[in-house]
Amino acid sequence: MESENNKYQSRRDFLRKAGKIAAVAPLVALPSLLIRKATATGYVWQIDPFKCTQCGQCKTNCVLTPSASKCVHAYAMCGYCDLCGGYLRQGVKNISTGAENQLCPVAAIKRSFVEEPYFEYIIDEDLCDGCAKCVKGCADFGNGSLHMQIKHDICVNCNECAIARTCPSNAVIRVPALEPYLPKDKAGKH
Amino acid sequence: MKLKLSDKDISLLKVISQISGIFTLIVALTMIFSLIHLRTINPLDNPALLSVKEQFDKDQANIAKAEQVRAMDLMARKAYFATRSQVETGSYLLLAGAVIFLLCQRLIADNEKIIPSFAEKKHDKAELQKKSRTYLIIAGGLITTAAIVSSFMLRTGLPDISGNRGEASSEGRSRDVKVKEPDKSNWPFFRGQDSRGHAGGSGYPTEWNGAEGKNILWKTEIPRNGQSSPIVWENKIFITGAEGSTCEVYCFDKDNGHLLWTGSATGIEGEPTQEPETDHDTGLAASTAATNGKVVCAVFANGNLVCFDLDGNLKWSRNLGLPANVYGFSQSLIMYEDILIVQFDSDSKVSLLGIEAESGTQKWETLRRGRPVWSSPVLGYFGGRAQVIVNGNPEVTAYDPLTGEEIWTVEALSGDVAPSLAQNSKMVYAVTDYARLAAIKAGTGASIIWEDNYFTPDVSSPVANEEILIVATGTGDVACYNAEKGDTLWTHYFEDQYYASPIIADDMVYILNRSGVMNIVKASDKLEIIGEAPIGEDADCTPAFTDKLFIIRVNKNLYCIGEK
Amino acid sequence: MSVSKAKVILVFLLLILWQVNAMAQDRFPRPEFETDYKYPEHQMPGQRGPLWEYFDVAVLIAALSVTAWLAIRKRSRRGLLYMSLFSVLYFGFYKQGCICSVGSVQNVSMALFNSSYSVPLSALLFFIIPLVFALAFGRVFCAGVCPLGAIQELTGFRPLKIPKAAEIVLASIPFVYLAIAVVFAATESQFIICRYDPFIGIYRLDAPHTMIIFGALLLLAGIFINRPYCRYLCPYGVLLNIFSRFSWKHLTITPAECTNCRLCEESCPYDAILPSDPEPVIRDRSSMRRNFLVYIIALPLFAAAGAVIAYNLSDFVAGGNSTVRLAREIRLEQETGLESLTKAAIAFREAGKTEEELFAEEVHITGRFRKAMPWAGIFLGLSLGAGLLANSVRSRRPGYVPHQGRCYSCGKCFKYCPIKVPEQNEVKA
Repeated sequence: MESENNKYQSRRDFLRKAGKIAAVAPLVALPSLLIRKATATGYVWQIDPFKCTQCGQCKTNCVLTPSASKCVHAYAMCGYCDLCGGYLRQGVKNISTGAENQLCPVAAIKRSFVEEPYFEYIIDEDLCDGCAKCVKGCADFGNGSLHMQIKHDICVNCNECAIARTCPSNAVIRVPALEPYLPKDKAGKH
Repeated sequence: MKLKLSDKDISLLKVISQISGIFTLIVALTMIFSLIHLRTINPLDNPALLSVKEQFDKDQANIAKAEQVRAMDLMARKAYFATRSQVETGSYLLLAGAVIFLLCQRLIADNEKIIPSFAEKKHDKAELQKKSRTYLIIAGGLITTAAIVSSFMLRTGLPDISGNRGEASSEGRSRDVKVKEPDKSNWPFFRGQDSRGHAGGSGYPTEWNGAEGKNILWKTEIPRNGQSSPIVWENKIFITGAEGSTCEVYCFDKDNGHLLWTGSATGIEGEPTQEPETDHDTGLAASTAATNGKVVCAVFANGNLVCFDLDGNLKWSRNLGLPANVYGFSQSLIMYEDILIVQFDSDSKVSLLGIEAESGTQKWETLRRGRPVWSSPVLGYFGGRAQVIVNGNPEVTAYDPLTGEEIWTVEALSGDVAPSLAQNSKMVYAVTDYARLAAIKAGTGASIIWEDNYFTPDVSSPVANEEILIVATGTGDVACYNAEKGDTLWTHYFEDQYYASPIIADDMVYILNRSGVMNIVKASDKLEIIGEAPIGEDADCTPAFTDKLFIIRVNKNLYCIGEK
Repeated sequence: MSVSKAKVILVFLLLILWQVNAMAQDRFPRPEFETDYKYPEHQMPGQRGPLWEYFDVAVLIAALSVTAWLAIRKRSRRGLLYMSLFSVLYFGFYKQGCICSVGSVQNVSMALFNSSYSVPLSALLFFIIPLVFALAFGRVFCAGVCPLGAIQELTGFRPLKIPKAAEIVLASIPFVYLAIAVVFAATESQFIICRYDPFIGIYRLDAPHTMIIFGALLLLAGIFINRPYCRYLCPYGVLLNIFSRFSWKHLTITPAECTNCRLCEESCPYDAILPSDPEPVIRDRSSMRRNFLVYIIALPLFAAAGAVIAYNLSDFVAGGNSTVRLAREIRLEQETGLESLTKAAIAFREAGKTEEELFAEEVHITGRFRKAMPWAGIFLGLSLGAGLLANSVRSRRPGYVPHQGRCYSCGKCFKYCPIKVPEQNEVKA
């Protein structure tokens, strides 16, 4: 009886050892398989402004409130127009900074006079809630210099971006963390 | 644990935890509400503000209203940012409340004496293992059942990998059809097969001269004048002509240009006694005839529609009614299998008719929306479905050629719409002068993908392949666009006006200008002029491409051009 | 086929337009300022530098080591609780829950099956290191390092035992969850573990309200049913469970020889204490052998059945991919003629892609699901078979020991054990 038990026990010990070795194997194999494919610096999420259709889901789908995606301005593309489709509501006749004329629901666009006939538009990102209304206005009626970008001082860099999951045009993509922005005036058109 | 708490402490802790618990609950509920609010609501969507804004929009000079908008706008935004900071502080309050609650509860719980409990009797290990196995099998069974049920209940229509999509639901023969390669010898409609502007075969000449006779195989006179273009079936050429109120269909021998037969299209019951007024450029015989290899049909600006067999015997004829409009009737005919499709645009009625070509029986008539146009229908195949597509005003609309049922529609143009549609496998291109050039993704849910308004022909129809779109304008510009994206790839000013439609053949684009000079360019994203060849007379009609030959109508003359 | 119109104006107009077109790509030309206006600076703040991620890896290793020491050598439940508190604060509230080992399963599987994606090294390390520790010291990661486990550990103070039947049935969910999550990640569909992470909203103080409510409900339930997420959902726990079974050293209930006093018998809320079985009195050895043999033979059958069932399920599961969903929507639209109004469908119509391309993509993705799902089924079938096998062998146990797969090394059982080693008695005194 005793010897039989011992036999079982040793058989079990053997199995246990085998199991351990079998368990170590994937822990060695997996990293060695993946280490060549690993990137040391990782990724962050960013909006490709050329794919963006200004659907407005960035505002509602980010895990943060207000959203980490904000409107940014590619000044070098801007026409500095007086009549700005991103700043003014459609159909207004008076071009002024009056609230009745502004498109932005949080008044985050600051308009200032530069020289005749040019006006500068600056986004106050603390106010911006990422609704993309101005971006749509600028894309439809202007040069498309206003565009959406994810601000990385706000973004918590989720493993899977909630905006990316719902973006209808797949415009939210992983970009290398060392180049975290895709500004419209720097990227080449693709 | 370490802390020894008296009963008094415990009851105090209990009170604290109860208070913090209730506090947390209340904060949590309000937070959830404001969080939903904050995410979904735009600060300026306040109905009161919107109505005031609407009033202001109507009367923008009203300063008082503007002031009111400003005040309300400020209030709405203040409220919004207040909610935003409330949510922020609220979340900290919530956290603090929850932490206090938990801490108190932990202390209370940890201070309780542990009373180790025993099971009544020692478990029988074998029994326990048996039970565990049963439960495991139950778990496995539950998961399996759920999997099987969901795989059957929630089975959705799988994509058909073989590409025969729509076969199951095919009701008519117009389903599940694909574009055929253009035929190398038959040129059945205006702008060839499907009215697509693509010629089959290769080896078309690039050099000729009408005055010197170079590469002119034969030249023959057409008895009566007309603006209609020639069509070809095997070795027969069909063309129409009209002078005064006499309308005729002619059949020529392709080999030598001899007139084989003349079919009369005059004296049909219902024919208007008075000749309709038409523009000089249009005339009574502006519409190009159509053939399916069994019959040839022709229509004239007085509404006469005739159908002959290929030997010139009249099969049937009828009058459609007088198509009165500004420039005169100009729609060319097209046929899908045995159905003749007639686009009938007059000031009184804008419609599309499907007529059985063999018998002349009308199968369907679909009234179209919008104003009369001078463009001709084309045949397209999108989503595996054959469709006849009309470049209307304002809508580009596709219809089922067998039933006349509308398949899709998109608002695209305005003004006097005369050019017909260009198409490739994904898109159709609608254009007209003073309006725009619109690239439309065809099929259900059609929409405009890109548009442009720099190069817009007034008469000449554009032509496209998968890569490029070519337009030839009434001012002498030829422009090449990226078919998918709409970038202008190249443009060239050829100086003379274009009325005839460009045709793509053998990787080249043949564009006949109004002076009768054929401009030949490479069908590519780079401008490469292959050459130009004059006929020597003014020309407005689109040539027919057949077996390395061109058949070109120049006023009253018919030319056959080919390498000698 | 011709219409004529007066074209003088038009020619003029076209020439002007043509020249404008030739000059600039933009609709409105960029101004040339006469004043010395300069474009404002772009504000493009970066993420916390990538080096910090390696700092986090270092913190992870340190935290795991400390937890292992606390659980195995120091045997301090209190210390483990402080460790949990640290993890809640650092990995939870400070790091805001990303990247965590639980979610890294998906990064690893996505990198394994997609050549286009290379896994961030930090994610790979976050995936591997807790498994290595599990193989060495048991599930110390769960005990005090995982931010998801830690928050539940801190809130679970009134443990109740739940019936064994419910426990076993519910504990099978994580296996399914893991299988589906890996399939979704491998097919680049979505990261469901991250999407349905119940506590991340609490750490960020912000999330879709549904997830916050789910998290709060789990925590409330967790007061009584301890660690509900770890037990009935956590997919990474499945891997830890498997590796921990073969661990080199593991937490013990008693610091010395077990006296079989049975005091700890009912102390574990996770049903992870195996009672002693000093001399198994096996009444029916032959029936046990038969059982064992049956399950050995059944193992490949389970695997095959799992593969078949999962394969049949693959089209349904493929619906979790947004492209497949869109393609189905568009097809439904074609069949019914009713225009789909979802944002994806609208965006699709605006983009230049054709339906044929979309359907081809759908076929390709569904094909990937059909390839992946049988493996998931094999995994589930084998897991069931292995569970049955493990429950049909009896080993001799002289004392009470933790079940190395299920034990979270939380140390709740320490205080039930009356045996104190002298050193600890001194501390206590």
